[in-house]
Amino acid sequence: MPVLVPEPHDPVCFRKDGKRLDGRDVDEPRPFSCEVGVIKNAQGSAVVRHGGNLIYAAVYGPREVHPRHLAKPDRGILRVYYRMATFSVHDRKSPAPNRRDNEISKVIREAIEPVLFLEAYPDSQIEVFIQIMAADGGTRCASTTAASLALADAGIPMRSMIVGIAAGKAQDKVILDLGDKEDKVGQADVPAVVVMKDKSISLLQFDGEMSLEEMKLSFKYILKGAEVIYKKQLEALKGKYETIRVNAKKESEEYQKSVKETSQKKPQSLLDTIVSKKTEEIKDTKKPKEDEKVQKSKKEQKKETKKGTKKSKKVTKKKTEEKAQKTNETIENAPQKDSEKGGKTK
Amino acid sequence: MIDVNKIVSSLERNYILKLLKEGKRIDGRDLFEFREIKIKTNFSPKAEGSADVFLGDTRVMCGVKYDIGKPYSDNPDQGVVTVMSEYVPIASPMFESGPPREDSIQLARVVDRGIRHTNCINKKDLCIEPFKAVYILFVDCYMMDYFGNLTDTAAIAAIAALLSAKIPGAKWDSEKGEAVWDGTIKPLTIHEIPLSITFGRVGDVIFVDPCLPEELILDGSIAFAVDEKKQITSIQKYGNATWTVDEIMEISEKAIEIADDLRKKMNLRQYTPKAS
Repeated sequence: MPVLVPEPHDPVCFRKDGKRLDGRDVDEPRPFSCEVGVIKNAQGSAVVRHGGNLIYAAVYGPREVHPRHLAKPDRGILRVYYRMATFSVHDRKSPAPNRRDNEISKVIREAIEPVLFLEAYPDSQIEVFIQIMAADGGTRCASTTAASLALADAGIPMRSMIVGIAAGKAQDKVILDLGDKEDKVGQADVPAVVVMKDKSISLLQFDGEMSLEEMKLSFKYILKGAEVIYKKQLEALKGKYETIRVNAKKESEEYQKSVKETSQKKPQSLLDTIVSKKTEEIKDTKKPKEDEKVQKSKKEQKKETKKGTKKSKKVTKKKTEEKAQKTNETIENAPQKDSEKGGKTK
Repeated sequence: MIDVNKIVSSLERNYILKLLKEGKRIDGRDLFEFREIKIKTNFSPKAEGSADVFLGDTRVMCGVKYDIGKPYSDNPDQGVVTVMSEYVPIASPMFESGPPREDSIQLARVVDRGIRHTNCINKKDLCIEPFKAVYILFVDCYMMDYFGNLTDTAAIAAIAALLSAKIPGAKWDSEKGEAVWDGTIKPLTIHEIPLSITFGRVGDVIFVDPCLPEELILDGSIAFAVDEKKQITSIQKYGNATWTVDEIMEISEKAIEIADDLRKKMNLRQYTPKAS
């Protein structure tokens, strides 16, 4: 049985002032934003918000092909899975992939393949998983944009970024980037994917009625819209490293501050006292090997003070931080610690 | 546990074990401390209700959809609530695409029972006309990033999505012989908020909310669903470990205590939309 509130269905797509219902011009894309590195388990990932679309893409690989018989000895294979969440559309969708999902997975795969160097990965596969969390027209285009971002985030070499955007026709006017309603009531729909390096088209479908003139105009709009999205893609990819840089700087400053504080004060935490007791015990019992042991326990203590001060922070952050410390601060701080420790043991 | 093809090195395993025996965790928590929880509701405009929940780095996105259907013949005046879970391969290199596996189905059923048996949603509220039409609620949980303890995360996501949901009201039209919209859109009435608390066990050490490295070396675990009246409403034991009665009683008390604490911290009722 259908759900209670049907989707409104009236064919009007333009306001009286000639603009579209959401206030856009005919050649204006919907608001677009994206972010990379959103799924920590994946090699690369991206989220794209394009109009009302909310799309996650994750890349795993290059990795072993499973089942083995799909592997090609001379080149890698690309597998794309386009899946919609059950709650992403007006009427609940069955979770199992249907014919539409499979077709779109295939056309997206064939849009991405030309920009990858698959011959560099014999016997392996690269998998791109796309999950539509909210659909609002033009999901295959937005999915390709997301997939391209995720692949770049995964560090997989590409000839160019690719951008998906659709043009179409509603009420005898050519329009760019159709929303859900325009898609449903419009006369034509041209989803396309643009390879940004040479402005060639790597995905093209067409569905409806259009003259050749209108077709030409659609492509003009598509190239214009793609340029806008491409800029945001690049910003997102660079932005990730910018935030990493800023965070790393902040953390290293905090760490240096905390080290100064702890070296000025007496050890207060329980761990510190336990460790210092241990070193005293060692000193009492085994005098000849004292120096070695004390040095060892110093290392331990240092590790533990780090943990003590940064309990609240996440493990991953700790790791990156520790790397930074190894390169920068260990040399600086070691002598400080030594003098402090030395004073106590004596 | 999840079909594991990630191997934990014996070095890492021994390190985690050593820490646990000292009462410490690999991520610096106490044995009975949950990771940080972040909740965002209504991320999906097409869903009736939705929630995006982080437990540490574990992430579950959940959405609620409804349908109108015939009631089961043994409960002609009760609606239906179905919880499903999808282990999408986005979430982890260990998950594969395809029909839901045992673990996925088990998780969905555990979350489902938490909701069903607490009388969280009164099924009679979901009846439009006995024997003819009832609401069927679909609660679909998508595992988006797997870093351990999906059960508890999914339970929070499911209840947050239900709390944030708005469903069109219906009345029975006897002339047409079908349910029609009565013009209102109302939030669901949630009577109880069940929470799931999972304990893991390695050897003799018992701890709450296992993170991924811990989950990969677990002997077994137990999930408790606890309601607002501080009662345990469902239990599920996972894995190969066996538990003594004393241990079970002890962690039951602990579960109630932790659930109470989490409930206060999260204040899930804040996600209920205002009636319009």
